[in-house]
Amino acid sequence: MRLILEVWRQESPTAEGRFTVHEITDAREEMSILELLDRLNHQLVDNGEEPVAFESDCREGICGTCGVDVNGVPHGPRDNAPACFQHIRALRDGATVRIEPLRALGFPVIRDLIVDRTGLDRIIQAGGTVAVDAGTAPDADALLVTHADAESALDFAACIGCGACVSACPNGSAHLFTGAKLAHLALVPHGKKERGRRARAMVAQMEHEFGPCSQIRECVLACPASIPITAIAAVNKERLRAAFWTRDN
Amino acid sequence: MTSLTQDTDPIPRAERPAANPPPFPPTWALKVTMAVTGMAFAAFLAFHMAGNLKVYLGAEDFDHYADWLRTLLNPLVPGEVFLWIFRVVLGLSFVAHVGSGAILWYRARKARGPHARKILVNRISARTMIWTGLILGSFVTFHVLELTVGMRPMASDAFVQGSAYANLVHSFSRPAVAFFYGLTMALLAFHLSHGLLSVVNDLGATGRRFRAVWFAIAGIVAVLIVLGNLSIPIAVQTGILT
Repeated sequence: MRLILEVWRQESPTAEGRFTVHEITDAREEMSILELLDRLNHQLVDNGEEPVAFESDCREGICGTCGVDVNGVPHGPRDNAPACFQHIRALRDGATVRIEPLRALGFPVIRDLIVDRTGLDRIIQAGGTVAVDAGTAPDADALLVTHADAESALDFAACIGCGACVSACPNGSAHLFTGAKLAHLALVPHGKKERGRRARAMVAQMEHEFGPCSQIRECVLACPASIPITAIAAVNKERLRAAFWTRDN
Repeated sequence: MTSLTQDTDPIPRAERPAANPPPFPPTWALKVTMAVTGMAFAAFLAFHMAGNLKVYLGAEDFDHYADWLRTLLNPLVPGEVFLWIFRVVLGLSFVAHVGSGAILWYRARKARGPHARKILVNRISARTMIWTGLILGSFVTFHVLELTVGMRPMASDAFVQGSAYANLVHSFSRPAVAFFYGLTMALLAFHLSHGLLSVVNDLGATGRRFRAVWFAIAGIVAVLIVLGNLSIPIAVQTGILT
């Protein structure tokens, strides 16, 4: 396959960015977007040029490290798949592919395709943890959790924190991310102890750096973990609850 | 031992969560305000549409209904007191709805950053809420000046305070006004459908069955309101109502 790549190059957070055009003549259908970038970097290094900086780690869809916009869509053209699972067979032979960093005001570019996603870390730091003394692991039957709650909590816990939802959103909103964590921890016994405090802290931190949700639902298509839209409702559910129930739990 | 990169490292280090309060009023509270006032408008519209349909029963029924509205809850609440409470509540809801919408629009636009987004979901109603909202806002102003206050040139030349049926027919006999009403009703369909669908998320309804039932009701209510209202200017223009 022959592909024309337009790749975003930016030296530093403050430098002006621009697209550079490269041609890949020996791309193979089974390559992922990340392998395509690897191929490009080999080519650049062979020509004595600076390789494109991008992030990736596990390349099996569980770490959330990778993330680029491919033709304006986070991760790539396939719905609900991370960049490492986006194979270029989805693209036309001879097509022009525009690869740029995840876009949002909350994600400043560090270099080329790498963005600073610590805004999401700060939301988790604010309250996405269990801060009560939970002790050692209890007996298996000491804390009863229904099967439905456990399944639901696991669905929300599937978030890998890649930031695709924020980049997909025309409002730069982190509702899907924040809601997934709030909904997950509100369903499990240890998380419930700080349900109100967590909602106040995480929503406040989210509002510092990310936009409001207009329910356009781009995030739901982009999410590689298939977090359901009810995560969005969970943000206001938990925050409203915390407005009336002013205690920690 | 000195760090090689400590001072020159261009990568911003993770800071603690902010200690200062987030933007005021909070985004979540603005969304809840939009949802609550929006639902109040939708409920008002449903009753308004049901009342409007009395126009098909003839001038006497319609004028009697219009008169009843002015003296609602009489004699428990004397005179037009209830009418004015109703107007003040709707007016304040209007201000809250428009104000929250403007702040949210600004915050959303800012958080997007300088790069445009590609839109995959065919959800034109969500993307145009601010524009359909602005047009509906100016429509409501026109509508009140025309048929309630009777201010010319918005009101027809034949406007007489109190004869609701005649005023309505005279007004909609003007093709431009009938067209404007029709157009705003089409925009209302977009605004109302997205608004009513958004309410479940803004008010935090996560239950699957509740959401499914709400979506069905929201769709039916939006369609009924728009079709019911739309029929009246069409009926006047086609000569069914004279």
